[in-house]
Amino acid sequence: MGTVEYIQHHLTNNTIGEGFWTFNMDTIIVSFLLGALIIFVSARLGKQLETGTPGGFQNFVESILDFVATNVRDAFPGHNPLIAPLALTIFIWVWLMNFMDLIPVDLLPWLFQMITGDSHAYLKVVPTTDLNTTLAMALTVFALILYFNIKIKGVGGFIKMFLFHPFGKFFIPVNIVMTFIEEISKPLSLALRLFGNMFAGELVFLLIALIGGTLAVGAAALFWAPLQVVLDLGWLIFHLLVITLQAFIFMVLTIVYLGMAHDEGH
Amino acid sequence: MSEHPTPPENGQKMAPPGPAANYLLLSAGSIFTSMLIAGFIVGYFLDELFDTRPILMLACALLGFIGGMQKVIRLTQRLDRVVPENKND
Repeated sequence: MGTVEYIQHHLTNNTIGEGFWTFNMDTIIVSFLLGALIIFVSARLGKQLETGTPGGFQNFVESILDFVATNVRDAFPGHNPLIAPLALTIFIWVWLMNFMDLIPVDLLPWLFQMITGDSHAYLKVVPTTDLNTTLAMALTVFALILYFNIKIKGVGGFIKMFLFHPFGKFFIPVNIVMTFIEEISKPLSLALRLFGNMFAGELVFLLIALIGGTLAVGAAALFWAPLQVVLDLGWLIFHLLVITLQAFIFMVLTIVYLGMAHDEGH
Repeated sequence: MSEHPTPPENGQKMAPPGPAANYLLLSAGSIFTSMLIAGFIVGYFLDELFDTRPILMLACALLGFIGGMQKVIRLTQRLDRVVPENKND
């Protein structure tokens, strides 16, 4: 398999259906399993809560809860009991989906090919490298933004926002178009940022994997194989920061956008 | 939902941004780019509607560009409202 085929193979989803109704089964199943993992672990932890001296894992989860709660307090004006649980879910789920990037790029596809017996079976394990996932999450947040905009400001206030923002009452047609652009840019920036960062990260992992795969032939392996290990480890440590930062930014921007929806002065 | 969502009180509106707002600066670049892309998208559909391609697409892209600039400037200006922890600074 050539280098181009190798990369293309790793960046192709395992799909069912055709055209508009194509389902990326690997994306759906992996993200579903990770969501189920969150529910399972939190349900189990919820049954074993200790009030006196909590164990290591409970401490860890409590520190994440504290971290998210602090961010909600900092970035969200007003009060809404939905925001903190939403932010926590987004942070942990996106982080776990991003974390799939750190599993060796060939491991899970290789296991999948062994299980199915098809040596060309596609498997793309990082759901956030699929634009459909990030766009779906961003559109869900966008729907919440619209819902709270209308709920807090009322239909009249919502229409007023389109008419008089940002250039005042003398530029109503421009204001309508501008507000449309602004609103559409919110889910777009959320989705594209996460997708872009994760896709690029995955691509770098694939390129590093190719060093060993294509160049390490015969005695050259003595040079290229250690280089691959060092580069892979370096990028992995750096990427650990990237996946956390991206999950965090997705969470903070969700809080900020929903905060703007609650702000009547906006 | 047991409690109703409420807007912030008036006093909170101009409160200095918390530390979380600093992270927004990381997204300044993507906000600017997405405003431009959103401008093209809105313009594309308006052109489809009025059959005026490519005038509205370009006009909306220009609006998106202006709006993106404005947003980035506002985002960076927010930082000026941060109250220094030590007044002697």
